[in-house]
Amino acid sequence: MRVVKLLIWTIIAVGGLYPAYPLVMGDSTVLADPAKYLLEYYGKTATLFLIAVLSLSPLQTLFPKAAIVRNFNRHRRLIGVGAFFFALTHLCFYAVYTGGLSGFFEDIGKPFILSGVTAFAILFVLAVTSANRVIRRLGGKNWKRLHRLVYGAAVLLVFHQALQEKAGAVQTVYFFAPLAVLQILRIGRTYFQPKKA
Amino acid sequence: MAMPSLIPQALAGATAGFPVKVNPKFDGSGLDLTSYKYVTSYNNFYEFTTDKGGVKELANQGWKTDPWTIKIGGLVENPFKADVNELVKKLGGIEERIYRFRCVEAWSMVVPWDGFPLRKLIELAKPKSSARFLKFTTFVDPKSAPGQKRRTIDWPYVEALNMAEATNDLAFVATGVYGKPLPNQNGAPIRLVVPWKYGFKSIKSIVKIEFTSKRPVNTWQQLAPEEYGFYANVNPEVDHPRWSQASERIIGGGFSARQPTLLFNGYEKEVGHIYKGVNLRLLY
Ligand code: HEM
Repeated sequence: MRVVKLLIWTIIAVGGLYPAYPLVMGDSTVLADPAKYLLEYYGKTATLFLIAVLSLSPLQTLFPKAAIVRNFNRHRRLIGVGAFFFALTHLCFYAVYTGGLSGFFEDIGKPFILSGVTAFAILFVLAVTSANRVIRRLGGKNWKRLHRLVYGAAVLLVFHQALQEKAGAVQTVYFFAPLAVLQILRIGRTYFQPKKA
Repeated sequence: MAMPSLIPQALAGATAGFPVKVNPKFDGSGLDLTSYKYVTSYNNFYEFTTDKGGVKELANQGWKTDPWTIKIGGLVENPFKADVNELVKKLGGIEERIYRFRCVEAWSMVVPWDGFPLRKLIELAKPKSSARFLKFTTFVDPKSAPGQKRRTIDWPYVEALNMAEATNDLAFVATGVYGKPLPNQNGAPIRLVVPWKYGFKSIKSIVKIEFTSKRPVNTWQQLAPEEYGFYANVNPEVDHPRWSQASERIIGGGFSARQPTLLFNGYEKEVGHIYKGVNLRLLY
């Protein structure tokens, strides 16, 4: 569906450009520490996109007849690449935030940073293997197997997000709880319900 | 900067009139002030929200900070309760000091505070010889402070200093910034300012100060002991588990303003002697 694709592109564009608004409007809460604001903003956006992708296949299992789910499912790759794009932006602002790459090398041994880097490495591999040409080269089965790594990235990101919350991992729960529920329902549906002939 | 005042000292108040004189020892020479708008719109005050940009709005929706009573007690000869304005008058009015302010999150400001040295208050309370620590407690009022509806922190927020720290010349009690009464988001009407320590030690909106013989456990130490200690002295050599403390972002300086962090936030001359022989890597 053309409309759904356009919608996804619009969400990516609006989501990506949104921070320009408070910056241009001179919002002092944002201008006080703009690198931190952008770092956090794109971290959250990347995570939300990833959660969106991971929600789509359980939704498909749970609502096999819903046209809207099917239409979004066709564009899972686009949403996934969107997640990678925002993660890359997050990484760029991390470099700004720490004042260059020397800070990055100083901090890379810290479990918090390492979790982000590993998740990013996974998203990177998945993004570069998302072109049609590469999928054909790998073969559908291998491609699918490789792309299961995304669940590893999700687990790392729960850790990454929860660890940086200072007073209870409230936001992490808000972000990931719906996904966890969907996945559990999906597993229930797949394994514990007799399939109709 | 603030001018010598025409109003008599005796009228100085926390939330009322605000004549201040600059303390020449801390006149901010060599420091660039962080503008008022950033000082008052980028605040860590979890009683309202964990979002630093959101505190200003939430702290000004009916939370009353005037009148305000502060209670001094514990191991002292002269326990008392006082209205903050009365207390300021009793202690001889207000002076201005320009201090660096370094948050544990690796950002920093330079703030012109108005207030009085903590030592003056201690002299008024007359601690007994058994008193070794000061424990500071913030208000609890979940109706006005929505962050306190969440039990993620064991409210109220508490902080503490040992006697040597509390009587150091730098330890300051602020009732204003930029010659104006403290805005709610900055910890109205009365807060601690200990500039050689990470910002969370500078507890806001104090309702009680107790003198104790045992070392109190401060809120952040209780919450994450491997991240935040009792001393919490600014120290570029001791990393936070998630980031280096070697340098700091300067608030309001755009994307690139950054400077190296100094031991004791640049106040080594004033406070270094307190920590002689203390292993600051272990006692962070
Ligand atoms: C490339 C390696 C990465 C590095 C070095 C990194 C670094 C950081 C840093 C420094 C913070 C701020 C922590 C704080 O304020 O204490 C952060 C927060 C965050 N990061 Fe990452 N990150 C990386 C990868 C990722 C990836 C791949 C994602 C998601 C797809 C992600 C999602 C987040 C989220 C959601 C937050 C929390 C933002 C907030 O709510 O304030 N990060 N990251």
